[in-house]
Amino acid sequence: MQTKDSNPPDGGYGWVVVVSAFMVMGLTAAVLKTFGLFFVEIQQHFDELASTTSWITSITIAIFHLGAPIASSLCVRYTHRAVVITGGLLAFSGMALGFLGLSMVWMYATTGFLQGLGISFSWTPAISIVSHYFSKKRALANAIASAGECAFAFTFGPFFQWLISQYGWKGALLIIGGIQLNICVCGVLMRPLASSCLLESSHSETETPPGNGASRTDKEDKSPITHKTFNWMLVRRPEFVLYAIFGILAAMSFFVPPLFLVPLSYSLGIDESWTASLLSILAMVDFAGRLLCGWYANLHVTKTVHLLTMTITLISTSLMLLPLANNYLCLAIFTGFYGFFFGTTVAVHITVLADVVGMPDFDSALGLFMLIRSTGGFVGPPLAGLIVDMAGDYRAGFYMAGATLVLSAGFLVTLDQLQQRKQRGSQTKTKPEKSALPYPSLHLLKLQ
Amino acid sequence: QFYKLLLGVSGISVEKNITLDSATRIELSCRLDDKHFHFKSVQVTWKRGNETIRHINKTENSWSIQLTILDNSKLGSYNCTLKGEQELSAVFHLQVPKIEGKEKAIVSYEGDTAVMICKSSGHTPIAWTWYMTNGSEQIAINDSLLADKYAINRMSANVTHLKISKLTKEDGGVYWCEAAFELGKSKGKLKLKVLSIMVPLKPFLAIVVEAVILVAIVFLCEMYSKKRAKRA
Repeated sequence: MQTKDSNPPDGGYGWVVVVSAFMVMGLTAAVLKTFGLFFVEIQQHFDELASTTSWITSITIAIFHLGAPIASSLCVRYTHRAVVITGGLLAFSGMALGFLGLSMVWMYATTGFLQGLGISFSWTPAISIVSHYFSKKRALANAIASAGECAFAFTFGPFFQWLISQYGWKGALLIIGGIQLNICVCGVLMRPLASSCLLESSHSETETPPGNGASRTDKEDKSPITHKTFNWMLVRRPEFVLYAIFGILAAMSFFVPPLFLVPLSYSLGIDESWTASLLSILAMVDFAGRLLCGWYANLHVTKTVHLLTMTITLISTSLMLLPLANNYLCLAIFTGFYGFFFGTTVAVHITVLADVVGMPDFDSALGLFMLIRSTGGFVGPPLAGLIVDMAGDYRAGFYMAGATLVLSAGFLVTLDQLQQRKQRGSQTKTKPEKSALPYPSLHLLKLQ
Repeated sequence: QFYKLLLGVSGISVEKNITLDSATRIELSCRLDDKHFHFKSVQVTWKRGNETIRHINKTENSWSIQLTILDNSKLGSYNCTLKGEQELSAVFHLQVPKIEGKEKAIVSYEGDTAVMICKSSGHTPIAWTWYMTNGSEQIAINDSLLADKYAINRMSANVTHLKISKLTKEDGGVYWCEAAFELGKSKGKLKLKVLSIMVPLKPFLAIVVEAVILVAIVFLCEMYSKKRAKRA
């Protein structure tokens, strides 16, 4: 356990991994975001209803979330590299087979299921391996990697439109599939760390740690020796549960503003091209927010949990103020604030997860967290839609999102208090342990 | 039905588009904005092209004409001109409903099926006809004659679909969907592009080859550096 965490590269080849993760983020999440461009084409070709066609994206997102824990447990068993390469092949096959376009059900199976599985198997290990490679500079590394999504999404919009106009939607799918094959290239670059999980699990039974376990009692898990399987014991840990609830509430609110920004903008009388520019502003400040937050978190001036609480509070403030906008300029300014703080939150929330559960359980935690968070993502938009219908105004959706975020911040504060209390408790514990050093190391383990 | 235009500032043309699909009686009225203008004596003329319309109903500040539109010949632009100290004018454009085609070309592949859709906004046409362009001629598409190639379906009152199966390169080009109304006809333009499967396949294969080559390079580099590390 200690051998891996005490010596992450924190640089060097780690930066290659960051760039590779940046590309994987782009080739997965950005493709998913821009898939809406195919919507009308596919709907008209198969002569189906809009709701039936939108199931494609619903299936992709559902499989993406459900596949995350599977991907995590596969990471633990095999290497991150293998899972990412598998994901790349799955995503590639999904899009390439979608080119055949035999029927709507075929599209569900290929661009829905296969693509979702591929994205899940690529995204989850990519996020995870960045955290494994870094400890001090983890926040910065995570932020840079996650910025890939924004950078690619910004260019994919016009690029996909051009592809569709040149090759039709079928040809465009084929070419995008080919581009996604590059996920495998990125995957090959993700060299497993010398002290990987597999090595740990075989060592932890025989070797005893060389006696410096006292300093990291909280972060080190008291989990059973079974690293090879998925660690379900995580749900017993109060910190993880608190963070998971925060995740649900945050997810409930995150999907709402992008959904209602466009209709709100139209209802204020802003026309199509200006509304599209709002979305571009959102993408650009998101990108800036992620990088800036990563750099700031890297300075280690504030604890990541505190930073996350601050960013969440700032997002909820922007969301509560956004409905006050009544012209384009105000709306653009508030959208800019919202996008910026959204970027900061996304950049830092994975790092906080790593800080909450510790590195040995991180892979399992990531998968489980994504799975639990997805419930919020499924509940959020319909609930917001209901509230908007009841209130008769899109602004109500923004108020709901802001309120949910304030609630989630409450859970973060509770989590922070719990962690601080545990730290204070363990500090009083370490004093007797230091005196136990001369005793045999097995005795040390018992005290821990 | 009653349509009115307010004449205000001179120099700026005031216009209104009126869409008519079936025979109807309408009244067009031009009114002087009394906030801005108080003309002592006003001369009003209503014209359609060169033809002057005689029966003008005058009320306090407005002058109107009544028209019975029975066919295409009565459609067009009706102009009212008010001459006083200044000259003000307004135009009413009476038109059949416009049919929108598609700006972007529909791209499809050889052997595949393409669906072309035309919609009429608001007004229901009596009939739809599809034309394909052969050189400079427009040829009507007869779907009963070539039933396995063309299928024309009226999906709803305002929407028509043309389905072309077993596409070939020659099927590409400009298509027109024509909506027939009581008062006239209106056309929408659509473009169809038929590509062979090789067209997207070439960039696809190029990208796949590039990915495979990169994977091979990375693997070889890694094995090489591992061997060096072992030797050292």
